[in-house]
Amino acid sequence: MRSFLPAVAEQLFKDIQKTYEEKSQIPDDLLIALKFVFGSCAVQALDLVDKHSVTCLSSPSGRKAFQVMGGSGRLYTCFTSCHYCPCPAFAYTVLRRNEGLLCKHLLGVYLSQAMGLTQQESISDQDISTLLAGGATAS
Amino acid sequence: MADILTHVFRTCAAQSGQAPHASGGQSSSRSVLLVGDRGTSRSVLLLAALSAASQGRVKVLFFTRTQIQSLPRSAHTCLPALSPANLKMIKFYYPQTVEELQQQVASLHEPANTSPTTPSLIIVDRLQSFLCTQGGGGGGGGHGHQGEQSRAAHLSALLHDTAAFLTQLLERRTPGLAPCRLLASFQSDPEAGPADPGRPDPVLAVLDRYFPVQCRLERAGGYLEEVWRVNLTGTTEGTDHADAPQEWQLVVSPDGLIEVRSV
Repeated sequence: MRSFLPAVAEQLFKDIQKTYEEKSQIPDDLLIALKFVFGSCAVQALDLVDKHSVTCLSSPSGRKAFQVMGGSGRLYTCFTSCHYCPCPAFAYTVLRRNEGLLCKHLLGVYLSQAMGLTQQESISDQDISTLLAGGATAS
Repeated sequence: MADILTHVFRTCAAQSGQAPHASGGQSSSRSVLLVGDRGTSRSVLLLAALSAASQGRVKVLFFTRTQIQSLPRSAHTCLPALSPANLKMIKFYYPQTVEELQQQVASLHEPANTSPTTPSLIIVDRLQSFLCTQGGGGGGGGHGHQGEQSRAAHLSALLHDTAAFLTQLLERRTPGLAPCRLLASFQSDPEAGPADPGRPDPVLAVLDRYFPVQCRLERAGGYLEEVWRVNLTGTTEGTDHADAPQEWQLVVSPDGLIEVRSV
């Protein structure tokens, strides 16, 4: 996902990616930094990554989107080029109150990408159109 | 292609006999939000569509809720090289709800919409007519302003993501026509304005996140003819540096003729 984050957050994801490639784990200092920058949703996002809840959907046209399965089993479709999540936390904390950078689902996408733990799935052009428009597919 | 609005204003100003405005930064942003009077905004959007289409192989997609009855009277004055063949490069869509608009935009990546010509400019007329409708919009996000903000964020992100995808296609197929640009217009609810002086429009606050460059139309006087001050402000994508504001004056005569003057 193309980043629209402050430099400190971008650097943090780079550090996590580098360290995870070398050691297959995230050291405590980076976890503390993650919690410091993103607050309580950092732990929730790591939980989503642990559960392999982030999937990158691709269609034959080449269009991609991320889908994150929330704790309740609901699926949230997020875009690959900018920040948007249909979850209530994004609407309230990020858009309305302007108090957070990301919701746990978007942070989960960033972390999952950095750690190489994103699932891959192919779907039809029509299905990805429906998901991007905010609808649900038949499957 | 420079920012399409800058191109339109410079071209029209040149056709009015004014020297091209050489100073000031040239915005290279891919997405611009036109904020202001809806009648004048629509004329500017149509001029932008015609200007892009007149450049040759540029395919333009124009989304609006209301039928286009006629071209702006200034079209042939500002764009003397405009030909009927150019109009074929503009495809008009008339979605009636935000859901229809989202479905149409979301399907633009499908081969039927990208072959043989990939769109290079997406224009959405009067975002507020889709976002601020009574009871309009599923897609979640709550009620009132919060629902409107969620719809605004979803639609803006979808437009942004679609333009980014089409840009990748253009870079592969016809690099000279990349990137795919995005131009939308928005007018704050004129009835809600005076009740909350000094408080930013909640929907516009969300649009600000997705449209880094804004072109503001502000009434600057006039009696028989309307005079509008046009300010293009914002940041160039990929840099932290604010572009130098660019300013023009739009003079709309009673018969609808638009004259652009550089300031």
